[in-house]
Amino acid sequence: MPRLRAWAPAAPLLLYLAAFLVQPSLYAVKLSFTDTLTGHFPSLANFRLVTGDGLFWRALAGNVLLPAAIVAVEVAGGLALAVLLAARLPGRRLLRAIVVVPFALPEVVFLTVMRYVFAPRGYANAALAAAGFAPVDWLVPGRVLTFFTVVAVDAWHVTPVVFLMLLAALASIPDEIAEAARLDGAGALRRFAFITLPLLRPALLSAVLLRGLDALRVFATPLMLTGAEGLPVLSTYAYHQWSDYGNDGAAAAASSLLALLSVVLTLPLLRRGTAP
Amino acid sequence: MRRIALLVVLAVAAADLLPLGLVLKQAFTPERESFAWPPTWLPRTLTLENVRTLREAVEIEGGLGLSALVAALTVAATLAIALPAAWVAARRPAVDRGLDRALVFARLFPTIALAIPLAALSIRVGLYNSPLGTGLWLAHTLLALPVAFLVLRGGFRSVPAELEEAARLDGASTAGAFWRVSLPLVRPSLAAASMLVFLVSWDEFGFSLLLQVTNRPLPPLVYYLTAFGHPGLASAVAALMLVPAVGVLLVLEPALRAGVFAGSGR
Repeated sequence: MPRLRAWAPAAPLLLYLAAFLVQPSLYAVKLSFTDTLTGHFPSLANFRLVTGDGLFWRALAGNVLLPAAIVAVEVAGGLALAVLLAARLPGRRLLRAIVVVPFALPEVVFLTVMRYVFAPRGYANAALAAAGFAPVDWLVPGRVLTFFTVVAVDAWHVTPVVFLMLLAALASIPDEIAEAARLDGAGALRRFAFITLPLLRPALLSAVLLRGLDALRVFATPLMLTGAEGLPVLSTYAYHQWSDYGNDGAAAAASSLLALLSVVLTLPLLRRGTAP
Repeated sequence: MRRIALLVVLAVAAADLLPLGLVLKQAFTPERESFAWPPTWLPRTLTLENVRTLREAVEIEGGLGLSALVAALTVAATLAIALPAAWVAARRPAVDRGLDRALVFARLFPTIALAIPLAALSIRVGLYNSPLGTGLWLAHTLLALPVAFLVLRGGFRSVPAELEEAARLDGASTAGAFWRVSLPLVRPSLAAASMLVFLVSWDEFGFSLLLQVTNRPLPPLVYYLTAFGHPGLASAVAALMLVPAVGVLLVLEPALRAGVFAGSGR
């Protein structure tokens, strides 16, 4: 019994998680196996509907490609920024503060600006026009460029988070190691490849896992920039089924698939612990 | 090499300030200026026209009040749940491991996969679109708990367990030692956690969009105003949303820069 009593202060937290994490997840599974029209359970009707829908397959593909591209761009960008701003540049304290400004903007605030930046008559095309280039259709549904615009917008907003994680890890590397390598004649590039990068490995891995899992549930960015059908992912597909068709079964089926994917990919993080 | 690095960093810094500048510009210029081609980078006319329209046509006070109420209730619920849990986690490694793992799921679970069943459930129990946002703050607590837990556990770890033991030797109960010795010492963490949790709720979009269809807090309001083609109005609401975000970030900036909360903010 004393072991159980040790857990008592955590009881409210565990009860809350049971009610608002476990219970709705199970209810979503039940909904996804319930025929929305007849109420029949168990039924595969929702999965049949969803797998017969071309938009679902586009959403599934988008949900693999978009997070992969987002993680690659943000981790590379965050690493580059961290290395640049770890160096002794003039005014680097101010620069570091400025670089995290996008992170301070709430997601919808950032995205509403981006709608106007990448609109046909928006700021990006105005900048192109001023430089003498033709305007570009940044966010036309279904185009490849739309994909890259969405990746760029997400990177613009979230790279500061990766930057902060990697800057902290970079600061914890003792200067003496690089100094010793420099005395042994290693150039900047070799020092980066053989000292900085291996020592940053745990932090980089954490960044990839955390950003990857976060990007897997990407929702507001494609929804606000392209609508539910422009660059579908599983989240926007589920929302589309819910709000445009009122089909809670199909919405639950698509979102439960996403949850399953997310839980499976969370398992490696559990073994590593959470502290980035 | 150094000059190139500086140029790159300056370009990035400019790109990072641009969105903030554009929100403020569009918020305080007439909406027709936001539709101009080529668009203006600096405001030509400064006006409170958008704010007036928001008050007259959109009843912004309702959204503002709902957002603030939901955020405040999220803070209260989250702290009540996270405080004892963070304390016991700081004192007992076995409990800490268990809670840490459970909260990883709370932190990374896809919002939509909870928002849809919660919306369906709240329709059944009559909490859907609640004018007081009851379903919403209950859901926001899930997103806020991992943040509060991390910050508070850090606070309790810095309070030596010996202090509580000394209080118990002097006759205080475990609860008494917690209330009168440890809790006053973690007040800074408590303040930081409250502010971060307030922002988690204030900024949240997914649950807000699905659980509140007509009684809308500010984030879905920005979404609808954007989708319906109102750059000025959307930006004015966005600028309003920025006030607590910027305030909290200025207060917590030293801790953020030290990487204390890295990765826990989203």
